[in-house]
Amino acid sequence: MVGLPGQGMHLGIDPLSALFLCLLAPQVLAAAIAMERKSVTFWMFVLGMVLALLAADAFALILGFELMSAASWLLVLRGDRQPGDRRPATLYAGTALFSAACLIPAVFLPAGSVAFGLLLLGAGAKAGLAPLHSWLPRAHPAPSAAVSAVMSGGMVKVALYVIIRYGFVVFAAIQPWWGVALMLAGAASVLIGSLGAMLEVELKTVLAWSTVEHVGLIAVGLGIALHARALDDPVLASVALQAALLGALAHGVFKPLLFLGAGAVKQATGTTSLDGLGGLMRGMPRLGMLMLLGAAGMAALPLGPGFAAEFLLLHAVIAAAGAGAVIAWIGFTALAAVLGLSAGLALAAAVRMIGIGFLGRPRTLRAAAAEEAGRLNLIAMAVLAVCCVPLALTPGWVLRAIQPAILLLVPDALPQPLAYAPLQLAILMVLLAAAAFFGLRRWGARGEREALSWNGGFGKPPVWLPFGDPVTQPSATGFAEPVRRVLGVPLLGRMPMDPGETYILAPLSRMHLRLTRLAEWLRRATIRQRLAFVFAALVIFLLALGLGQNA
Amino acid sequence: MLLVLRCLVTVLHGALMFALAPLLLGVVTKIRARLLGRRGAPVVQPYRDLWKLIHKIPLIPETATELYKIWPFVSFAAVAVVALLVPGFTLGLATAGQSDLVTIIGLLALSRAAVMLAGLETGFGFGGAGAAREALFGIFSEAAALGVVLILVLIAGDPTVDGIAAFFRFGQVGISVSLGFALAAILAVALTETGRIPVDNPAGHLELGMVHEAMLLEYSGRYLALFNYTAGLRLMIWFSLIGTVFFPYRMAQAGDITGWPLGLAAWLVKLGGFAVALALFEVSTAKMRIFRVPEFLGVAILLGLLAAIFLFVAGRLGG
Repeated sequence: MVGLPGQGMHLGIDPLSALFLCLLAPQVLAAAIAMERKSVTFWMFVLGMVLALLAADAFALILGFELMSAASWLLVLRGDRQPGDRRPATLYAGTALFSAACLIPAVFLPAGSVAFGLLLLGAGAKAGLAPLHSWLPRAHPAPSAAVSAVMSGGMVKVALYVIIRYGFVVFAAIQPWWGVALMLAGAASVLIGSLGAMLEVELKTVLAWSTVEHVGLIAVGLGIALHARALDDPVLASVALQAALLGALAHGVFKPLLFLGAGAVKQATGTTSLDGLGGLMRGMPRLGMLMLLGAAGMAALPLGPGFAAEFLLLHAVIAAAGAGAVIAWIGFTALAAVLGLSAGLALAAAVRMIGIGFLGRPRTLRAAAAEEAGRLNLIAMAVLAVCCVPLALTPGWVLRAIQPAILLLVPDALPQPLAYAPLQLAILMVLLAAAAFFGLRRWGARGEREALSWNGGFGKPPVWLPFGDPVTQPSATGFAEPVRRVLGVPLLGRMPMDPGETYILAPLSRMHLRLTRLAEWLRRATIRQRLAFVFAALVIFLLALGLGQNA
Repeated sequence: MLLVLRCLVTVLHGALMFALAPLLLGVVTKIRARLLGRRGAPVVQPYRDLWKLIHKIPLIPETATELYKIWPFVSFAAVAVVALLVPGFTLGLATAGQSDLVTIIGLLALSRAAVMLAGLETGFGFGGAGAAREALFGIFSEAAALGVVLILVLIAGDPTVDGIAAFFRFGQVGISVSLGFALAAILAVALTETGRIPVDNPAGHLELGMVHEAMLLEYSGRYLALFNYTAGLRLMIWFSLIGTVFFPYRMAQAGDITGWPLGLAAWLVKLGGFAVALALFEVSTAKMRIFRVPEFLGVAILLGLLAAIFLFVAGRLGG
């Protein structure tokens, strides 16, 4: 429904919007507990997201979406980067304007390929889909941690919700290329996002890059589902949708958890650069364990909250490869390889985040002196950690709960039971680990002795370096170096440049400069030049008129 | 009755996997030594080493966190679960429904993550370098592994190892080009995951070139024993996995107790054959430079893609 002024606003709730509201609730609650409960702008931001999800007409949807954009722009502007640095906010405002300029015509145009293309550009830019993702790793880390958490966990999901709502429900005649476009954009985001997360050193920026990757994974799932629905394959469509929606739910829980943790690290140590942290597990053990849980989700490790979605997505890709023609066959095989590469990269990035930041020895005195995060922050993170448990251990139940939303999107969907039972695997693992533990106690030597670490043969550090020389430790940059050499240089160039920035933002900026110069030249034109313009315009007009009449 | 037999065979299979894993390492080392013209340590040497290690009091580095003692158990438990999922001498284990190839790859990645975190635990240079290299190899080996998984699942129409093995055991599958490519790719992945030559040298003691060993340099006593045992178990799993999927000859059925001895004998022969092949391969090649390994695994990824294309062409020509 379009919705016009004078008719009032139509709001409604159906399984799909209910699902996304459920996704939003824990992270908003956690963000409010942690720090943002007194900020009016934050609540306006939340109101905008809720309005966009509840909207039953296009007007209300756009109103909510733009309220969300505007309020989050204020929050980014208020952010905790250097006070003078407005670039993230400016870039963010530009992206929001572009997204609005595409989205508003898209929802009011008649349904069709043009409308979907505009929708994909508008909502895709807001969700951070490649190639329009470059703003996300800059703008998401800029505001306070709680706002970053809701932007990464919630706002990009609202943008994806708009794609789902229009792609599956409102635009009835689905074309196969819509799904292909979504898949391609998703695969590109997955690759660039996971590589960015591996190469970046700033903790919050690592998390933002990982958001690009997870948005890509969700988009790949949605693309497969859309393509399958266009080709009338309800089984494949429902598996792919399960993967996408479960992935969205999981990401909406563990990513805010990680962002809140990053905020606590910043508060405790004054920095979020991994190269300045180290050994935080000793000073902040509770925070460290919560971050470990989030990192398991980010790396999509089994028994963590992220694995079930990845599992379903891979099976959707395999099934899609089996169903298509030769191009699809090769494409989906390559997609499986890309997903494997990015899974490995995500694992490496998560290991790097925990291993460099939380294990090892402190690299600065501030990291050595870090104290446990505040109580409210820990409570907020614990809320999210509790939400991780069903996603991690009983994803089958969660899938059953989101079944109505899938039936809404694919009416003849056939729910498939999940072939991955983490609860059984977890019990088995605990039993085996316990067997090993008690076996070693029974037959092995008891007790242990603390000793100076061998540390590659370095001697005992001097007194003024209680944790050893930091430069003898592996750094985050050094950990990423092999990957930079092998994947970063071929894909991003010797100076790591984001292709979205090189090929989209930089040319736009150059064009802007050129247009500004032209306008300035016009403004400064003398009276003779202006008269010459008028005369030239008149001549061209008359010529055109004359030629038109002759023809 | 069938259920009882399936549980029984699962327990038997698990017991054999856990008991024989160090022996397998010993056999490979022995054959290698013989091929190099040395007498070599007895095949039971890994058991003696483990026994010696668990009787030593572990030294905990003072810069280690509380999690230092957790990683060996996480790494072991993840691999041990996989050992129960991958069938060895019979099909139809009680865990067959869970033996999805994607789950198995995920669990092996979990174990690898625990080892990498153990390497970063005390914050010393070699551990970090080893973890960074392991991370690099993991990226490519996961991509190659998923390509092979895709081909196997598409051929067999079943995502579980059990189902795939049953299809190859009883279905009409001729020798196909794409299966050959898939086998080559999975061998490359297996060599990487188990840290054998040409990717890593399990007998090497030069810190600059080590990968797996480098991460464990700060570990001692029972914790080191657990890591070493896990490495043997990982080799056992990859041998069994490749044997089950690509050479499922004479594999028994869980319900048919009379077929078990033959299946068991076939499994042991397969393991022995793989041990000889691995030792031959290891003495005939040298360890690669670290930055050659991504190329080696890149070839595996491409073989996976080629296998998929051949599979498609064969399907079109045949059907």
